[in-house]
Formats: sequence, structure tokens, C-alpha cells
Amino acid sequence: MSATDVYSAESGPNPQEALVKFTMLLGGVVFLLMMVFGLIMRVAQGDLISLDPEMFYLLLTAHGAGMVGSAALSGAAILWFFSARHLNLRSSIYIAFLGLFLAGVVLILGSIFIGGYGGAWTFLFPLPAMSGGLWEAWAGVMFCVGYLLIGVGFLLYYLELGLKIASRYNGLLGGLGWRYLFANNSTDVPPPTIVAASSVLVFNTIGIVFGAAVLAASIVNLLLPSFEVDPLLAKNAIYFFGHVFINATIYMAVTAVYEILPDYTGRPWKSTKLFIGAWAAVVIFVQAVYFHHLLQDVNMPAWTMAVGQVVSYASGVPLIGVTVFSLAVYIKGSGLKWDLPISLLTLGVVGWGLGSIPAMVDGMVSVNKLMHNTQWVPGHFHTYLLLGEVAMAFGFAAWLVRDKAVTTLSSLDRLVFRAYVFGGAGFVLVFLWSGASSIPRRWAVHYEQWQLQSQLASGFALIVVLATLVLVVRYVAGLARRSQ
Amino acid sequence: MQLSILLITLGLMGVAGWLILRAVWATEGPSAPKTINRTRSCFLWGMIAVGVVISVGSLREWPHTSAADDALIVNITSGQWWWETDTTEIPLGQQVEFRVTTEDVNHGLGIYDPDMNLVAQVQAMPSYTNKVVHTFDKAGQYQILCMEFCGIAHHDMTYDFEVLEQN
Repeated sequence: MSATDVYSAESGPNPQEALVKFTMLLGGVVFLLMMVFGLIMRVAQGDLISLDPEMFYLLLTAHGAGMVGSAALSGAAILWFFSARHLNLRSSIYIAFLGLFLAGVVLILGSIFIGGYGGAWTFLFPLPAMSGGLWEAWAGVMFCVGYLLIGVGFLLYYLELGLKIASRYNGLLGGLGWRYLFANNSTDVPPPTIVAASSVLVFNTIGIVFGAAVLAASIVNLLLPSFEVDPLLAKNAIYFFGHVFINATIYMAVTAVYEILPDYTGRPWKSTKLFIGAWAAVVIFVQAVYFHHLLQDVNMPAWTMAVGQVVSYASGVPLIGVTVFSLAVYIKGSGLKWDLPISLLTLGVVGWGLGSIPAMVDGMVSVNKLMHNTQWVPGHFHTYLLLGEVAMAFGFAAWLVRDKAVTTLSSLDRLVFRAYVFGGAGFVLVFLWSGASSIPRRWAVHYEQWQLQSQLASGFALIVVLATLVLVVRYVAGLARRSQ
Repeated sequence: MQLSILLITLGLMGVAGWLILRAVWATEGPSAPKTINRTRSCFLWGMIAVGVVISVGSLREWPHTSAADDALIVNITSGQWWWETDTTEIPLGQQVEFRVTTEDVNHGLGIYDPDMNLVAQVQAMPSYTNKVVHTFDKAGQYQILCMEFCGIAHHDMTYDFEVLEQN
């Protein structure tokens, strides 16, 4: 198959469709399960149920790892699906990626619910090796090996993308669009999805390599406690990996907006110089910004904190000024008819953009002194994940199984969408309010004066869980309908 | 301070959300005008200008205060799941430099005033001593809470001390 033979939106079924549909089913079910874990934690913090702190921290660890994993899986499925419109990707590579991912998930779940590993998804060195009696070293090793397997799968995935992009667009610089941006060479300018794929594979590969290095060090430390790593160095590597990896999930998922929105508006999302320049900035910013996780590590050089603050703000410029702005311009006056897929995809971009605002605020050193590790932090990242990446993922899933004869929001779809927005917005706003009330994050037990917020959050979370349940059931029904 | 941060953030989110939704909902109205690219350029440059002003304004005086020569030094050691300090009594109005470390995993020193508002924090790291400077302007019982997840009793890792009016 030559490069020109690849699938396009008009040329018939996407060869990756079956695999991607299966992946979205997995992702959707795990999203739902992890939301239930989140609900249980908020209910316990509200003292509405009695939950053993040990179980709370196991759920916390599973919720974090599971949500990041599902976001990564769904983002990867979306990017793979739409990259296959422009590249001849090998399904065998995706199957290997998925197999390694699932093997990693089995190890991670085993480490948590059999081994009792409760060191949070961030595995902050040397916590995996110092459980205080909660888990044995083998459980920590199992958790880290699970992460490594997922990382290897992603490296395979990006290698395939990179090879095919380099082959089709005359090198990775071609895929990034930098020849057009910097040398004004307008021949064969890559489409937005390829610009996004090239950018993500560059920064996420670097992030995963750093993550793998610190995971390997943690494994050796677990097996040979005399082997030590500088804790500040390890912390840098972990937050670099963690920040890049979770952001990559959104940057992969947004390709669904680039590819699907034009079907609704009749206006193609274009690879302009501004668009390519924004992605070039993202490649730099997403790596340089992780210092904002270390603003209370005062042994870090002062310049790193200044960079963390400035780049936190700067990261919002391409997001709000280019992606969100373009979305609004493409939609305004387009005659777009709202249905569930496009409603969720639009919500995803808007939630992502709005979620960057409390993130930028917390990225200021002076604010971070009062907000770091309070519930402000889950407040901002739930905004751009729950109302961002997850909304995009469910929007894409709904689009995959859409009934093309239906071009409007049904009453049920409208109700579900409104419930998701209402519950999600209420949930994240309570988190932000709780952060401003100095309530620390990741506490199994909340003082009495903090419990009202947790109870309110539980109500909003329940609404989100119910809406998500309908979204998953609707997706399964859509799969069943289309397979008939 | 935290309330101001919350209100400013919600205000910005509200205005941004309203502007976006106003455009997004206008699917049947007129398309964006031809001058939209100029508008976007102004918006981008405006964001950059605001960013420069905020950065310079908020970083010109370095937020992590250095201790004066007459600051009271308080050493704090921590571990799973305890805090230990030189003293449990601190004079009101006295600048204090907390020197914080840990014997095992990462912890977070969060200092809460009598109304349970977080007034200062710093990370506690193995092999490192982190310093945070604070001047207490309210007498009463303060609490140290752990701000960095450190294991099964993370939420129990608390410690009390008093800020006393000087006679």
C-alpha cells in the first residue's frame, strides 16, 4: 500500500476501526469504574460511609493510575484512528501496544488489590520502598513493572507513528510542519492531526524515557535498598514524566476535534502557520512547565521556579488563543446542528481551556505557597480532564457509533449531556472552593468542618457517574446496533 | 488571600466561558468577521502583555522570603507519621525560619492558623533541608498538617504548637 492509498474520511471504513472501537469500550468502562472509586472517596471524606483509610489509599492509587491510564488509552486510540486517515499504520503494532497496556494494567491492579500497594499513581521516590508496613516490596516492584510495560507499549506506538510520518512527510520536521513554519516551504504541509501526532510523539517519548529511568531506579531500590537515588533528582524525573504524560492524553484526544468538527461545520481545520507555531510552542512548553510541580522544593534553583511560573502562563496562550479561539471561529455561524458527539467534543475543548485558568493561577509561586497540595490541585486537573479529555473521549466514542440519520440531540442525549456538564462543573467547583478553604488533598479522613464540601461533591459526582453510565450503555448499544 | 484567589479565578473562568459560549452557541448567526485574524492577533499579544506584567509584578519581589539575621530558627524533623520540633511555643510577631527535613519519605509541612487557614508550606525531603520563613501575626494554637501523600497514616500526621503574645 502506498502512502496515497491510505484511508480518508470518504474512502470507506477505517482499517483501525474495530481495534479502536474495542479500545474505547475498555476506556469507557474503566473511566466509569474509576469514577465510582472517586465517588466512594468523596463520600468517605464526607463521612457518609465508613471506609478504612487503608482501602481509601488503595482506591486513591487505583483511581489515579486508572484515570491516567484510561485517558492515555483513549487519547492513543483517537490519535491512531485519525492518523490512519493519513498514514498506513500497521494494526499489529497497535495490537502489541494494547497487549502491553493490558498486561501492565493487570500488574498494576494486582499490585494494588492483591499486594496492597497504595503509594499513589505518582510513586514518589522513595515511598514505594517505604510503605510503613502497608505493602511488601514485591507489590511495589509489580506496580513499577506494570508502568514500564505500558511505557514500552507507548514507545512502540510512537515508533510506528514516527516511522510512518517520517516516511510520508520527508522526516519528522516535515510532520511537525516546521519546514512550512520556518522555511516557508508550503509543499505537502501536514494536516493538523499529523502535526499533533508528530509533536506528541516527540515530547511524550522523552517523557516516557525519563519515567522509565526513575521506575527502573525505584525497582532496584525496592530490591536492593542500599541503592539510593537523589530524592530531588527522582522527583524531577517523576514530575517531568507525569506532567508530560497526562498532558499528552489531551493533546492526542484533541485530534478528534480537528477531524470531526469539519464534518459538522463544513469548514476544514487548517494547518496555518499560527496553528503549526502553536504546536511548536507546545512541544517546548509542555516539557519546560513541569517545574511548577516543584515550587515548594526550595532547594531547586530559583530560575526553575521562575520558568515554571512563566511557562505555566505561556502554556495557556496557544491553548486559549489558538485552539479554543479557533473552535469558536469555526463554529460561529456555521449552521452546525448539535448532536451528542459534537456537544461532548466542544465541551472537551471548552473545559480544557477553562481548566487551564486555575492551573495558571496555581503556577504562580506566591499563590502556590497557599494552594499547593490543597484540593485546588485536583480542582484544576479535574476541570481539564473530566470536562476536557474525558468529554472528548466520550464524544469520539459517541461519534464512532452514531446513527447518521440522527442529526439532533434526542431528549435522552440532551438530559445526559446536561447532567454531565452540571455534575462535572459542580464537582470541580467544589474542589476549587475546598482548595481555597485550605483543605489538603489526598486525606482519607476529613475534619468535621470540611465535610460539607465533600458531601456536596459526592452529590455532583453521583450525577456524573450516572451520566457516564448512560454514555457507556449508549456506546455498547451503538456497537451492538452497528454489528447487526 | 485564598478567597481573593478563588474569586479572581472564578471571575476569569466565568468571563472566558461566557465569551466562548456566546460564539459557540451562535451557529445560526453570522460567521466571524473577516477581521477575526486581526482580532486574534490583538488577543494573543494582549495575553502576552498581561503575562509579562503579571510575571514581573509577582516575581520582582521573590515570593520565598529570606530570613532576617534576627529570625528565630526552628528545626523540624519528620517521618512516617510524626513531626518533631525544637519548640512548641513561638512569639507573636517574631519572624521564624523553619528548617525542615525528613528521615524517610517526602512529606509536606503545612502550617495552619487557628482558623484552619493554610498560611505557609514547604516540602520535607529526605537528604535535604528546606527552609520556609513566616512571621505569625495572630496568636493561638496552630497546626502542622502533612501536605504530601506519605502512606497509610498521612492524614494523621499532625502536630500542634502555640503562637504566644510577648509580655
